Amino acid sequence: MNVATEPEVLLHGARIVVCVGTGGVGKTTVAASIALEAARRGARALVLTIDPARRLADALGVAELDDEPRELPEAMKVKAGIAEGGRLFAMMLDMKRTFDGLVTRFADSPETRSRILANPIYQHVSDALAGSAEYAAMEKVFEMMENEHFDLIVLDTPPSQHALDFLDAPQRLLEFLDSRLVKLLVHPAFSAGRFGFRLFQGTTHRVLKLLERISGITFLEDVSEFLLAFEGMSEGFRQRARRVQSMLLGSDARFILVAAPSPEAARDAGDFLEHLERSQVPLAGVVVNRVRLWPNGEPARSGLEQYTRDDAFDADFERLARALERGENAGDGEAAARAAIEVVREYDSLVRLDRQSTTALRKHSRRSGLFFRCIPEFPRDVHDLAGLSQIAVHLFAADEPESNTSDTVNDVERR
Amino acid sequence: MATGAERSLLERRLIIVTGKGGTGKTTVAAALGLAAAERGRRVLLVEVGPHEHLARLFAPDAPPVGYGGRELRPGLTAMRIDPFEAMAEYLSLQVGARSLVDLGLRNQAFRQMLQGAPGWRELITLGKIWHLEQMKRPNGSPLYDLIVVDAPATGHGVTFLDVPRVVHSAVHAGPLGRNAGLVEELVRDPDRTLLLPVTLAEELPAQESGELVARVREELEIAVDRIVINAVAKRPFPTELEGLDRRLAALPAELSLQRLPTPAVMAECASYLASRYALNRTYLGVIAKRTALPVVCLPFLAGGLQRPGALRQLSQALFEPPSNRHAAEDVPETERVQ
Repeated sequence: MNVATEPEVLLHGARIVVCVGTGGVGKTTVAASIALEAARRGARALVLTIDPARRLADALGVAELDDEPRELPEAMKVKAGIAEGGRLFAMMLDMKRTFDGLVTRFADSPETRSRILANPIYQHVSDALAGSAEYAAMEKVFEMMENEHFDLIVLDTPPSQHALDFLDAPQRLLEFLDSRLVKLLVHPAFSAGRFGFRLFQGTTHRVLKLLERISGITFLEDVSEFLLAFEGMSEGFRQRARRVQSMLLGSDARFILVAAPSPEAARDAGDFLEHLERSQVPLAGVVVNRVRLWPNGEPARSGLEQYTRDDAFDADFERLARALERGENAGDGEAAARAAIEVVREYDSLVRLDRQSTTALRKHSRRSGLFFRCIPEFPRDVHDLAGLSQIAVHLFAADEPESNTSDTVNDVERR
Repeated sequence: MATGAERSLLERRLIIVTGKGGTGKTTVAAALGLAAAERGRRVLLVEVGPHEHLARLFAPDAPPVGYGGRELRPGLTAMRIDPFEAMAEYLSLQVGARSLVDLGLRNQAFRQMLQGAPGWRELITLGKIWHLEQMKRPNGSPLYDLIVVDAPATGHGVTFLDVPRVVHSAVHAGPLGRNAGLVEELVRDPDRTLLLPVTLAEELPAQESGELVARVREELEIAVDRIVINAVAKRPFPTELEGLDRRLAALPAELSLQRLPTPAVMAECASYLASRYALNRTYLGVIAKRTALPVVCLPFLAGGLQRPGALRQLSQALFEPPSNRHAAEDVPETERVQ
């Protein structure tokens, strides 16, 4: 077995697993089930979620998660089958606190720190503006990595339409801090609060004038002050951002794309996959969550779509109706048989729909040497440890031989 | 004659369709646009984000509509707002000289700063939407009667809608602050703007839609008057056959069927569909209760969206009067597409 194209690659030689994907596909659940599996095999595993919706707390059945790693209680560990030495931690990112922590860490003086924390631009950047979650996430991941206490960190990323916002975040921040315009804004000439635009010639001069005209002078002063204060700490941040990035692109990092089988979600996942492949990220596999499959690999053996009235079908119907008449709570056998056939048709259409919308993803994964797994839909929403371990079982199950998967999804057994 | 439900949707100028990825929000936006256009409105469908999907819901092989937009059906135009193009356009309007703007946007330093700066994409996108709302035809009537926005599916829910307010409160003087103020005014004007959340009748989406609506009411103060629940399952078998799954499970395994799956498998299918239906009913109630909003249920389309008529079927369901009787036994069961 080539481990490189199996889900085992997530647990061998990996220190960080990054789950990416659009929103609402169950990334958090998949991330938590990977961390759980690692813990069951004796690792100290942390699942870190960025999702403000507190999904992880739901999935782990604990009341509250915050920005400190919280360990699964002893009693639940036993229930979850976590091995001796294995530990499972979970935490949720608090953007605002992470950002404040960053400032506190790198500010060169208490004055700088309070100036930044009180700056209106900073307050809005760290608190309210969309996109800062990624910056903060990177910071927390790094802190946890440096912390060395964890064998494996599984990261649930912010849902994103811009596929790699998350990965690009440190780079973009560096570019922002390095950009000449920002440099000009924090140039000593501005530190006195005077905008000596005349000092600068050429295009950049005109761009600054434009910015000034559009934004209003107070805004620019705030920006300038923010950046000026930030500059004192930017070297520390810069180094950190660089190390975060090499950590994510390193040989012990694994990315997986999590997708859902609805036509809209599968289509988004396809876009995402293409984007990921153009990037440098160490992509390991694709996981489609909540796929409707035939129980026990029950195939469309005679083509369920061809339930036309023929002799074989009529014989089936008769037999079923008669059996239902004799059975428990016996009633009108024919009505029940008709309803049962309608149920089979309906279920078949769901299986077909999911298969149809995941076909492109499956082919794409196989072509690119990525592992591909479908997690079956369970009758109930997954919101506890038992549900998470069920997901882990399917995720880490061996793939079906190619012959059985030519036409169907890898038919993992439904519960 | 227009029902009350229809009127309140069609009399708005701007409807922002929001929801998590996978809830079918793009489809709902398309169905709403189609329905409004068929009722004689001039409609603009706006897509935000790096990928285009709306046009392909109308024709699978449709080429991208781009920033320039294209009419997909009579009275129904679609476009995708690219923040860089919108920025170029905005700066030209501010400066009055496109050449200077192009110079600025080509400026490496400026581009780098834009790449890293948070918030501006959201602001400029909403600014463009404001501008589109303001556009007039030669006779003075609006260029578009209704603008339907397929909002980005972010984990931060509706944070992007808050950007104008944040900017407006951070920037007190100058055109930027003023413009942010105008955008904020449009977004918060209940006569013009409506937020239309789309969710699914499942546990986590139900919880999230509760949080989203609370936030919209308390912080964003954007009008929201109903919630769309997509892909609602129909009753899998008649009530008088309740327990069909157990009856099937009790059948002898050796019942030799040639075409049908084994009784055990049929029982499992029946049990799955029954519990899916029951869960749907439960979370319909939960959503209605948590959001305190009337619900509009859209049927699950077993045939997928590519079937002809699928979009129209959804657009009809969208204009059913929203139901306050969430606890009632059944939502209207629209026939599924065959």
